[in-house]
Amino acid sequence: MRLSSDSTTVRSEFADDPDMSPIVELFIRELPHRLAAMHSALASSNFEQLRSLAHQLKGAAGGYGFPKLGEAAALVDQGIKDGCDPNVIRSRVGMLAALAARIRP
Amino acid sequence: MDGCVGRSSSMVTRRMTLSSAPLPKVLAIDDSELIHRLLRVRLQHEQLELHGATESDQGLRMARELMPDVILLDIEMEGMDGFEVLQALKSDVDLQDIPVIFISATASMEDRVRALDLGAIDFVGKPFEVVELKARVRSALRVQHLVKMLAQRAQVDGLTGLWNRTYFDRRLSQEFAEAQRHGRTVSLVMCDVDGFKRLNDERGHPFGDMVLERFAKILQGGRTSDVACRYGGEEFGIILPNTTGIEAIEVAERYRRAFEQEVWSAAAGKVVTASFGVSDMISLPQATSFNDLIASADAALYRAKLNGRNRVEAAIAPNPAS
Repeated sequence: MRLSSDSTTVRSEFADDPDMSPIVELFIRELPHRLAAMHSALASSNFEQLRSLAHQLKGAAGGYGFPKLGEAAALVDQGIKDGCDPNVIRSRVGMLAALAARIRP
Repeated sequence: MDGCVGRSSSMVTRRMTLSSAPLPKVLAIDDSELIHRLLRVRLQHEQLELHGATESDQGLRMARELMPDVILLDIEMEGMDGFEVLQALKSDVDLQDIPVIFISATASMEDRVRALDLGAIDFVGKPFEVVELKARVRSALRVQHLVKMLAQRAQVDGLTGLWNRTYFDRRLSQEFAEAQRHGRTVSLVMCDVDGFKRLNDERGHPFGDMVLERFAKILQGGRTSDVACRYGGEEFGIILPNTTGIEAIEVAERYRRAFEQEVWSAAAGKVVTASFGVSDMISLPQATSFNDLIASADAALYRAKLNGRNRVEAAIAPNPAS
């Protein structure tokens, strides 16, 4: 999975759904805070916390029209569950962050 | 100007037009606020009332308060996980018939099997397809509607429309326990149509049925808090919560008189009567179960029969202080 070279923007599948757009926008506004929390959990090696954050994103991102973001979060979740090397986890969080950075309202 | 206003007022209108039948309640238990937001939006046009809990304990508490028609339950939550919540729901007699749909991002086959084996009715993976989620909620609501209907039918007597024996036993046991817990009292009236077998033999079963129906109607027309049940055959039981023995005697006396005054066109001049036995918790301080109340009321009823029928007898002296 190579995402680093791709810099196109990503929009929600539901961006044009008038019912959904308010909560999609809220989701996008909150996303940097979620990622900051994940980075800080990673920095303090609090993998339980990191996994919980990734797990929530995994379950919800698809519902907000960002299935790829959900898949990237699932890789973090699964990596911690499988006891992967912290470097692997770090790189997966990096991929998740790169993908999140491309998201636009 | 109609965009925003129109949408919010349409919610209100829908609720008002359906006010005759209350909207089914759906309780979502999920520790992610993201999921609650999503559900609120995705289910907003469904004919239902959505409630949310973000913690297991809160979810169980809300289930007891709301008695929802369907529960959407997340498997992986902090603290008590979804499986434990499901077990708690299924081991509570009041909550065990509420259909539970599991929602989980993990959705391994083992989890799905475990959830279904624990009593969940259905399973939706996260991220859920909206159309599928709605269809599964609707399907669970249909099941719940039938379950409720069956549960009620199974407790109602077909001829008289009164509660049946099954309900009587459960309700009396409940009222007895609650009265004990809260230091209140419960009275019980057992009653029986006098000479019913002979009536049936002489006038035929259709007449006998009519007698039972009319008697039931009188018993049903009493105070709203009283619970009239067909105990079996021509015997009926009325549970009177928060009622002293003396008050219960008065209630029974009113029924007795009303029944005696019924006019039977098919048998001109015929008077049909009933006998009543009353018991209550204050006069039975040694009672340990609701069965003691029944036995005592039955004994009083037997005495009413011995003393000439068409009368009310109580297990107590009317003035226990003397």
